[in-house]
Amino acid sequence: MPDFIDPRDLEKKKIFLILSSPEKIRQRNSDLIKEISGLGYHTIVVTTNYPYSVLAKMYAQTGIPVDSVSFIDAVTHTSVGSAENIPGIVRFINNPANLTDMGIAITEMLKEQSGKNVCIMYDSVSTMLIYLSSVNISKFIHFVTNKLRLMDVSGVFLAVEKGLDPMLMSQLTTFVDDVVDTG
Amino acid sequence: MDGTNDKKSCIEADILDNALVMIAILGEKGRIISWNHAAETITGYSQNDVIGSDTIWKKLYPDKDYRTIVTGRIAGILKTKNYFENLETTIRTRYGESRTILWNTKIIRESGLYRTISVGMDVTAEREGQVFRESIIDNAYVLIAVLDPKGQIQVWNKAAEMITGYSSDEVIGRRDIWKKLYPDAEYRRSLTDKISRIIAGQNYFENLETTILTKTGERRILSWNTRQIGANGVYHEIAIGRDITEQRKAEEALVAYMTEMTMRLKQPVGIISSTLLESAQLFKDGMLSHDEIILVFEGQARNAAQIEANIQEFQTAIVEKNRSIPEAYQKFLEG
Repeated sequence: MPDFIDPRDLEKKKIFLILSSPEKIRQRNSDLIKEISGLGYHTIVVTTNYPYSVLAKMYAQTGIPVDSVSFIDAVTHTSVGSAENIPGIVRFINNPANLTDMGIAITEMLKEQSGKNVCIMYDSVSTMLIYLSSVNISKFIHFVTNKLRLMDVSGVFLAVEKGLDPMLMSQLTTFVDDVVDTG
Repeated sequence: MDGTNDKKSCIEADILDNALVMIAILGEKGRIISWNHAAETITGYSQNDVIGSDTIWKKLYPDKDYRTIVTGRIAGILKTKNYFENLETTIRTRYGESRTILWNTKIIRESGLYRTISVGMDVTAEREGQVFRESIIDNAYVLIAVLDPKGQIQVWNKAAEMITGYSSDEVIGRRDIWKKLYPDAEYRRSLTDKISRIIAGQNYFENLETTILTKTGERRILSWNTRQIGANGVYHEIAIGRDITEQRKAEEALVAYMTEMTMRLKQPVGIISSTLLESAQLFKDGMLSHDEIILVFEGQARNAAQIEANIQEFQTAIVEKNRSIPEAYQKFLEG
């Protein structure tokens, strides 16, 4: 498995935009978590596509320590109707478009993991496009990246390659430190 | 007075009477001595009405204020010379019509007496035509500028004032408006080069798009068409500029919106497809439980429903943003 992130960059609390093909984006999610966990980081995964329970199972099967990952799940609540937050493991939000709740969940989750080396992974910008306009996504990512920098936390934003319009792409590029195209 | 003189006088009287311009000969104190046929036709007052009297002027200028203005202008001219040229006034005819008359006068001495010959040309039709043309130019919804051979602006219509912010007073008779509209020297140079290249091939250009800077600092996009008008080696350029700023903005907005929606449809559909295929495989491999696969499918179904709503929104927005789409297609897009 190739290394997508330079450990020194993660140490510098850099923020990344990782691009992938749609077929490989879930695999990239697992690859990155494995890589980040291997460097001693706790990852907070914001998932807008797979339910946390499925992701947790997939991670376990690929050898990722379950306690090295927490989730903000924007999928399960809407399907199941209700789901209880599990402190330190998962916080549910009712809709991927509810950016206020998502912002609060990120803040709360970062508090829960304070003292650890934390990296946030946002999976994915592309799925968010179903629910939000690029303007709102751009504003939200700007808000999150500012928050991460203030709290000295690394971040990874996953997106499908060659699918972001040039305007959104240029905006995201200015918010992050590095863009990595994983193919 | 011999017979030859009688004959000459007769010829003169005949010419005077049949001239195509009104001719009035005035004696002392403005009394009418002679009033030709054209004067009768134009004013509606016959010789019998006017000869020997000076009351005709009150009849031709019944409005006291206007009469005072005309009298004042004549008095002003006569202070420096004993004739006037091309004095334009508006008379009221016997039938209540207004006619525009261009007056020229000359003082002659006849038999020791001073006579004033007033020649009035009826220019009503020309003036009406001129006003009509000016009205068309002024009320046109496009910028119209006419340049003389030296490049000085001769005509700058209301639309030109409105679009550029520069009034005709600031522009007429000058050549520097282009520097104001294109203050960036490099852009101005590139435009000049482009225009020169076009003009070298043909003496006009069509649909040349430029961006001007208005007096208020706003940028506007104009589409220019020019034509050369004139004859006998004296040519004027007429430049017509259509403000297409809003059209361009609408087109840009439409393109931006279509790009955005393409992105918001293509990307998620790709992800949904991959997620479903992968989940199906994971289920086949026994890695996902029945409940988990249902959860995934429900999530993707919700995503698909949202994409359908986005497509509907997309169709509506396109119709709203571009009313030029044919009605049949609009109905189709409106769903």
